[in-house]
Amino acid sequence: MFVEYTWLVPLIPALCFAIVGFFGRRTPACGGYIAIVGAAASFVIACLVSYDFWTSDAYAGPGYVEEHIKWFSLGGHDVNIGYYVDSLSCLMMLFASFISTLIFIYSLGYMGDQGDKRRRYFAEVALFLTGMLGLAASSNMVEMFIFWEIMGLCSYLLIGFWGFDHPGGEDMADNAASAAKKAFLVTRAGDVCLMGGMFILYQAMGSLDYSVIFNQANLSAVDGDTLALASLLIFGGAIGKSAQFPLMDWLPDAMAGPTTVSALIHAATMVKAGVYLVARCLPLFCQNEEVLLFVAVIGGFTAFFAATMAMNNMNIKKVLAYSTLSQLGYMFLSLGAGGYLICLGIKDGNAELVAAGAVGYIAGCLHMANHAFFKALLFLCSGSVIHSCGTEDMRLMGGLGKKMPITSITMLIGCLSIAGFPFFSGFWSKDLVIETVFEAGETDPLGWVFMIVWFLAIVTAFMTAFYMFRLWFMTFRGEAGPNAEHAHGESPKSMTMPLMILSVFAFGFGFVLLTGFDGLLELVPSATGLWTVGNGAAEGVGHYMGELFTNPYTYLTIALVLLAIGLAYLMYCKRSVSPGIVSKDGKSWLYRAVANRWYMPEIYDQVSWKLGYGVARGVDFFDRDIIDGTVNGLSNAVVGGGESVSKMQDGNVHTYSTVVVAGIILLFAASLVLFFVFGGI
Amino acid sequence: MLPMLVLVPLIGAAVTLFLGGERSKYARIAAFAFGIVPLAMCVPILMSGDMSEYDFSAEWISAANLRMGIDLTVDGLSVLMVLLTAFLVPVVIAFSYKESDRPNYFYTLLLAIEVGLMGVYLSADYFLFYVMWEVSLIPMYFLISWYGGPRRHYSAIKFFIYTHVASLVMLIGIFALAFEAASIRGTGVVDFGFAAVNAAAPAFGTLFSTLVFGLLFFGFAVKMPAVPFHTWLPDAHTEAPTAGSVLLAGVMLKMGSYGIIRVCMENFGTNPDVVDVWQPIMLFMGLLAMVYGAYACIAQRDLKKMVAYSSISHMGLVMVAMGCFSETGTEFAVFQMFAHGLISAMLFMVCGAAGHNFGTREIPLLGGMASRVPKYAAFTMFAFMASLGLPGLIGFWGEFGIVYAFTDWAVESDAVYLIVFCLLTLLLTAGYYIWAMQRALFGRLTDRLDFAHVHDLDLVECVSLGAVALLVVIFGFWPDLALHYIGLYPFLGVI
Amino acid sequence: MIPIEYFITFGIILFCIGAYGVMSKSSTIVVLMCIELMLNAANINFVAFSAFTGDVMGQVMVIMTISVAAAEVAVGIAIVLNAYKVRKTVSTEGLASMRW
Repeated sequence: MFVEYTWLVPLIPALCFAIVGFFGRRTPACGGYIAIVGAAASFVIACLVSYDFWTSDAYAGPGYVEEHIKWFSLGGHDVNIGYYVDSLSCLMMLFASFISTLIFIYSLGYMGDQGDKRRRYFAEVALFLTGMLGLAASSNMVEMFIFWEIMGLCSYLLIGFWGFDHPGGEDMADNAASAAKKAFLVTRAGDVCLMGGMFILYQAMGSLDYSVIFNQANLSAVDGDTLALASLLIFGGAIGKSAQFPLMDWLPDAMAGPTTVSALIHAATMVKAGVYLVARCLPLFCQNEEVLLFVAVIGGFTAFFAATMAMNNMNIKKVLAYSTLSQLGYMFLSLGAGGYLICLGIKDGNAELVAAGAVGYIAGCLHMANHAFFKALLFLCSGSVIHSCGTEDMRLMGGLGKKMPITSITMLIGCLSIAGFPFFSGFWSKDLVIETVFEAGETDPLGWVFMIVWFLAIVTAFMTAFYMFRLWFMTFRGEAGPNAEHAHGESPKSMTMPLMILSVFAFGFGFVLLTGFDGLLELVPSATGLWTVGNGAAEGVGHYMGELFTNPYTYLTIALVLLAIGLAYLMYCKRSVSPGIVSKDGKSWLYRAVANRWYMPEIYDQVSWKLGYGVARGVDFFDRDIIDGTVNGLSNAVVGGGESVSKMQDGNVHTYSTVVVAGIILLFAASLVLFFVFGGI
Repeated sequence: MLPMLVLVPLIGAAVTLFLGGERSKYARIAAFAFGIVPLAMCVPILMSGDMSEYDFSAEWISAANLRMGIDLTVDGLSVLMVLLTAFLVPVVIAFSYKESDRPNYFYTLLLAIEVGLMGVYLSADYFLFYVMWEVSLIPMYFLISWYGGPRRHYSAIKFFIYTHVASLVMLIGIFALAFEAASIRGTGVVDFGFAAVNAAAPAFGTLFSTLVFGLLFFGFAVKMPAVPFHTWLPDAHTEAPTAGSVLLAGVMLKMGSYGIIRVCMENFGTNPDVVDVWQPIMLFMGLLAMVYGAYACIAQRDLKKMVAYSSISHMGLVMVAMGCFSETGTEFAVFQMFAHGLISAMLFMVCGAAGHNFGTREIPLLGGMASRVPKYAAFTMFAFMASLGLPGLIGFWGEFGIVYAFTDWAVESDAVYLIVFCLLTLLLTAGYYIWAMQRALFGRLTDRLDFAHVHDLDLVECVSLGAVALLVVIFGFWPDLALHYIGLYPFLGVI
Repeated sequence: MIPIEYFITFGIILFCIGAYGVMSKSSTIVVLMCIELMLNAANINFVAFSAFTGDVMGQVMVIMTISVAAAEVAVGIAIVLNAYKVRKTVSTEGLASMRW
């Protein structure tokens, strides 16, 4: 009975956006409380909807609830608007609204000194949340795309929040404006791919409703190559939104926005949309295993590639940004490898492979939720640190552990979780991801690709633990840096309270896996009907404990993580090992390449400058000089010709009469010639 | 009702003309009042279930072997254009309420343009159509050459010659149509009415159809404008006063695409031989205009010129839609015409306002304006976002439907790769708008402007922009509102 | 009877003299006179053909031409006189003001 009110979930933040946007100045905290209440209300409704759904007959029956009305018709088919509730959308709505509520509360303190600008801030974040919740609740891809783009707009507005009137000066304003532009355009490149994929799919299937396009009977009726093209284009959208290689460079730049916005983008909204899209469209992707291989390779490579850039970055927020990229890579890797196994399993009729693939899907979704919690926590902690020290450079921090005990401990929990320390939430999902990839590596004939990716994933796990603890030790341990000495101390309650709540989840959310989460989020393939999420068999506590702790590779990852933490301790806390040994004091080419982000910004600039502005200048030249030159040349020829002919008009009667007579004679001669030569007219 | 839609602005123009000198402060009130009446008259038309009850027919030039009537009609194709015209004229009159140089002439010209536009969209007789086409052209010429910028004479004459030459070619086409139709009907009366010609259209020979399609198409394509006949547009827009630009981009360009659908496609669009010849040309011109216009935008320094090129790019989209020769394509071509009418009106209003309120429209001279003129920045951002196709605003649906129609055609014709050009255009569109915003509105506050003379939008300007923005949002959330009317266009079921 | 060729030849000679005068003389009075010569050349042809074919229409035409020529001379002389008053000259070069 609550499921019918799913539409309220995105609508409430949308109303908050309108209220805060138009009347925010007259409300307390410039609309902050309205936004918080709205997000909290969405969370409550999402809880009720999810509870209602999971206990309803619909969950056991078709596995989803869908309601829609006709919106308009396109090409003879209806485009609908409505909601589609299944386990995946419930999960998204729950964690997005919950984390957003906490971030909004935190913003009260963090943005407290911004005066009237808070109106803009709270209105925009409310719209941002609308985008994410709407995306999760949409019943078809067109509707989803609308919310997808609303998020793009909001990220543009929020990353560029300091794009003018920056308290830190105009250089930073310039920087923020440019980062916002980059974020919008790079994700837009993905979006147009997604749009192309949608059109091809719509053309082939005549609908974009999830309940139609993920129905195997309908999918089988379509040419496989068309589906592969559509899947790849749709994945292009996910690459842009979730900042995977090669459309990844906007996300580190997006740190120019307020830290709370970064938390929102990285944890609850925006980048999760890409993962959600792939998870949602996995039935489509599963029609071609090459597509899934591509997804997995992109994910695995991004996980590794982004982690390298986090290794030596000195900006606390940028380290976190790269870690997001890396973790998102894990999610894609997991979905890709899981889907690959499912796809092969279906082809060979091998139920074991399908079950192993389903674990990959669960791991991906769980990692998405886990990551939401610990990344929100980490960003909010870093925001607390920045708020207190007034800098983002970790070299200027250090020794903050005593001044900011709550921040320090909660951030430690976050670091342990993301590093995959045993029993913290990140451990469960990450090790399942790695396990799934390993299993995909044992298949023929393309298993070797997955083995390479598996190796990258293991190395990434090591690197993740290292750079996260490097960050933590540099910030909270060791000698106090110049800014740390003048730090304000612990942040206000509105900021620390969300940290504490989040740290509980960052530690414990992984345990849901042991209590039936796997059944809730199992992708159930169907040979003739709709692919659904949920309603699988829950394996329970013993299964995953047994599976993980009997697998030797789990111990390998744990050992690597511990090794990395130890190394970070020696290098950045005890300082008995100098990092300079590895980097040759910052002179090695590798160090420089990584510090320059593998020259990605330069490549982006070159490409956009040459392909964008360069061609544009050419077109402009063509327009001005060739087309308009021709036009003006023609008009000049007419005017000039007229002028020169008018010179014959010299006003002398003799000339005129001579011309007349000559004309008559010529005419006469011509008619004679006509008459005699051609034998009459 | 329909004759009144033409006559009211005509009377308004005459009345306003005499409110010169000391009475000139009443000119804008009178013009606004006469501008709002047609808008009010659109309401019953939109409300009526069957618009054909408003059809009007009267004899105009009627001889033994010639009939040119004052036939007016409104259907799914024209109703949105009529609404757009009736809506934008009062909006621009309000928006340019500060005009102080001979205001009576200024508003008279605006109303006179409305006469021509209404006539074009309402007429059901080819000769009346042609006459009204020319009627709309002349006041626009004077508007540019009297009230324009420094190069106004050049631009005005360029505008005039381009469109006039095109309309003469079109006139030849119209005569060919009417006379050929008369000879097919065999009654000996050359009837210029739409109905008479359309009835004979299926019997037109292939060669005749192909050639006459070309003549008419040229006439309309210049007006749209299609690359490479487009260079009059950026010049005209750069020099025209804001109100003129709004009407030019908002409604006048649509005369071209309206004509292509109404005249070329209705008469020849169902003849497969003609389609075979002209479809590739139209698609090529459309794709070319889209990509070319988008690239040209990137290189522009003048905001208004950039927006002018974006009009070329967006009208290229309409051309592609028409070139699909499909029901969806035609439907969304009309939708995009309507959407672009609203959006480009906003765009030209904000870009014109930059000229009035800041004293310059050069992007390099602006910068960080959002902190000084927040309302202006908000409206500019809204307009730019609407134009680059942000979902939830009207522009998105136009692009969406057209790219879908094109994809449909491309898949059927085994040329899926061609949608790359559509997608590239969407990306480039975002590129030039976002880049322009970054340079003009955000970042470092410019030091090249005298901020003593910079002022934000005032109430009247905000209200007129807000009225357009409201429609952009309403139709954006509920595209069926417009698609419903387009669906009433009977030709959609035929193509 | 004098053959028709003589009349035609005479007409041609007269016309050519007139045309030559129009083209070469600088005095507008002479030009006017030369125009009269050309008109009369035409008249002679008319009369000759009229007599030759026995059709009086040609003679009617001549009467008409003479009266028109009279009117033309009147107007022409008046213009020349007025031009002389203004410009103090009747030469064609002096009156050449209608040009670019």
